[in-house]
Amino acid sequence: MAAVATCGSGAGTTGSAVATASKSNVTSFQRRGPRASGTNDSGPRLVSIAGTRPSVRNGQLLVSTGLPALDQLLGGGLAIGTVLLIEEDKYNIYSPLLFKCFLAEGIVNGHTLLVASAKEDPANILQELPAPLLDDNSKKEFDEDVYNHKTPESNIKMKIAWRYQLLPKMEIGPVSSRFGHYYDASKRIPQELIEASNWHGFFLPEKISSTLKVEPCSLTPGYIKLLQFIQNIIYEERFDGSNPQKKQRNVLRIGIQNLGSPLWGDDICCAENGSNSHSLTKFLYVLRGLLRTSLSACIITMPTHLIQNKAIIARITNLSDTVIGLESFIGSERETNPLYKDYHGLIHIRQIPRLNNLICDESDVKDLAFKLKRKLFTIERLHLPPDLSDTVSRSSKQDLAESTKRLGPGCGMMAGGKKHLDF
Amino acid sequence: VTLSEGARAGIGRELGMLDSLLSFGGLVLLRDSVEWEGRSLLKALVKKSALCGEQVHILGCEVSEEEFREGFDSDINNRLVYHDFFRDPLNWSKTEEALPGGPLGALRAICKRTDPGPITIALDSLSWLLLHLPCTTLCQALHAVSHQDSCPGDSFPVGKVSVLGLLHEELHGPGPVGALSSLAQTEVTLGGTKGQASAHILCRRPRQRPTDQTQWFSIFPDFSLDLQEGPSVESQPYSDPHIPPVDPTTHLTFNLHLSKKEREAKDSLILPFQFSSEKQQALLRPRPGQATSHIFYEPDAYDDLDQEDPDDDLDI
Repeated sequence: MAAVATCGSGAGTTGSAVATASKSNVTSFQRRGPRASGTNDSGPRLVSIAGTRPSVRNGQLLVSTGLPALDQLLGGGLAIGTVLLIEEDKYNIYSPLLFKCFLAEGIVNGHTLLVASAKEDPANILQELPAPLLDDNSKKEFDEDVYNHKTPESNIKMKIAWRYQLLPKMEIGPVSSRFGHYYDASKRIPQELIEASNWHGFFLPEKISSTLKVEPCSLTPGYIKLLQFIQNIIYEERFDGSNPQKKQRNVLRIGIQNLGSPLWGDDICCAENGSNSHSLTKFLYVLRGLLRTSLSACIITMPTHLIQNKAIIARITNLSDTVIGLESFIGSERETNPLYKDYHGLIHIRQIPRLNNLICDESDVKDLAFKLKRKLFTIERLHLPPDLSDTVSRSSKQDLAESTKRLGPGCGMMAGGKKHLDF
Repeated sequence: VTLSEGARAGIGRELGMLDSLLSFGGLVLLRDSVEWEGRSLLKALVKKSALCGEQVHILGCEVSEEEFREGFDSDINNRLVYHDFFRDPLNWSKTEEALPGGPLGALRAICKRTDPGPITIALDSLSWLLLHLPCTTLCQALHAVSHQDSCPGDSFPVGKVSVLGLLHEELHGPGPVGALSSLAQTEVTLGGTKGQASAHILCRRPRQRPTDQTQWFSIFPDFSLDLQEGPSVESQPYSDPHIPPVDPTTHLTFNLHLSKKEREAKDSLILPFQFSSEKQQALLRPRPGQATSHIFYEPDAYDDLDQEDPDDDLDI
């Protein structure tokens, strides 16, 4: 900081780039001209909303998803104005945890929350949010936990290939106390934090009367009501910048649970060619329009394994910005596969958006697995150990071939195709 | 006392997952097929909950009331509250005992009750309801009914609600069956081998891993459940008893195993990239054995053994 100050005083007032560097702890270079976040203020002032930071790559304003490992995979965080779609795992055990971490991050940063669900009362969802690990003692405890888990194994294995134990399991970017927190999944969030936060809930059975008549409309009534609710909140609380606020701006975090399930009145999970099969796609389109014109970010969990028409899944993926799929090993034959014994499931990053860019921010690691330890949810690169025994069946080699296919262009033609070539 | 109770409860939990299906509450889905019918299991569970003193409501849509009540004793028959939708499903006779709103109206009316005891609702069958009602409406109604006990809005506590639904798997595509099973807390799939019926029970607790168990059973003529151990397990087909498994590590010319001393020696060996203090000393100390190293060279036929340096003539 001192070096910047002397440099700034030496260069005079033309260095507005350098002057604003003192406010930003991310980069000392600042793009002049119209801001990506679109403020109406005079001068290139950084929009300083709590819990957000500009992306180092394209200046887009980002919020944290609640999991620092996931933030790293998405290129720093979730951009404001975009939709994060999570494809649920089969028994819906891990996707609620990501949903709750997103909401808990909003409470910790003081953002406004909007929780919509057809299954559970939003007040109950908020009671079950995980507790944040806020102080440094907890951070040390987390580090020790990870370290203790890794050291005994790595000491035994890495005597000859010792350079590999210096490689990180997953790169974690800089986690400052203002962006990205760790959450303890075994504890509940303190009640006073919930009461101090500003939240709105949308519980479908309360909003819709239980009559059987359905208006002939292209969107199911549940979706229409939800869109109207979101639009009202955005307009009343001035998230769309329609009225310049005197007080501090804030971000609206929207969470929609189990969208597309029959409890929302949508039958894409029940029938292949339902009567309103375009309802969900239209909902996503309108929702994205609402988000793009306001300071909000949205997380949606969707049971895509129940959707009967696969073309709809492709359309939904195209209509969302960031799409992540969770695949848990419970009940599948992979549960007993020794290759996956340390993990609870795989994470597939299906889509990353290109926002004001020609290329997207994908990380070079596409082979990811997650595990839910007692306290923490961690995402790691899936290390496939070499199979040393003759009794390993051929089917696991097919698995390896599948994942090596995605490793990138470096593998070339050898990893293509389903057959695993033995030399 | 507590130890034996705990042990008994543990054993009871193992054998009696079929027994305790109704104690968890929520939606219990009984999936049957043509080979393994589920109505007798449904009636057995209805009888058990009636004997426990719970209120039992039956929504009979698929078979007539006489056929459903057949086989039950009179005291159980007196305890069952039967809503008949088989005789007049579309309410053409317009009698005053007709229930408004059809089966769903009857479901909602059951749930608007005021007494707080536990209640069991048997739907015979869910397949009939799926074929006559839109799937989404049925799912919403079932969710509202089975989650009523978790709603804190009522002024009086409502007892737990169990909904038993009989679903004929072959009548529906994967869509409705998948949607209903994602809503269900417990899913019982009937199957069996060689004349003995089994129930594969999948229990989904919220926010916990699902547990599953296979229970062999049979049902007596008076609809009481008999839990059984199952048919004798056959020997594994792929291990042939005539050929013993061959251990490839015997009769090798090299040693694959390390003895304890060898392993200790291996662990204490300092690897070449590890820079320890002994190595440092060894490198810094002048080598005493330098005088003992010789080079032996046999000159070839074409070698020039002239000791002069050919570059001495150069005058630079």
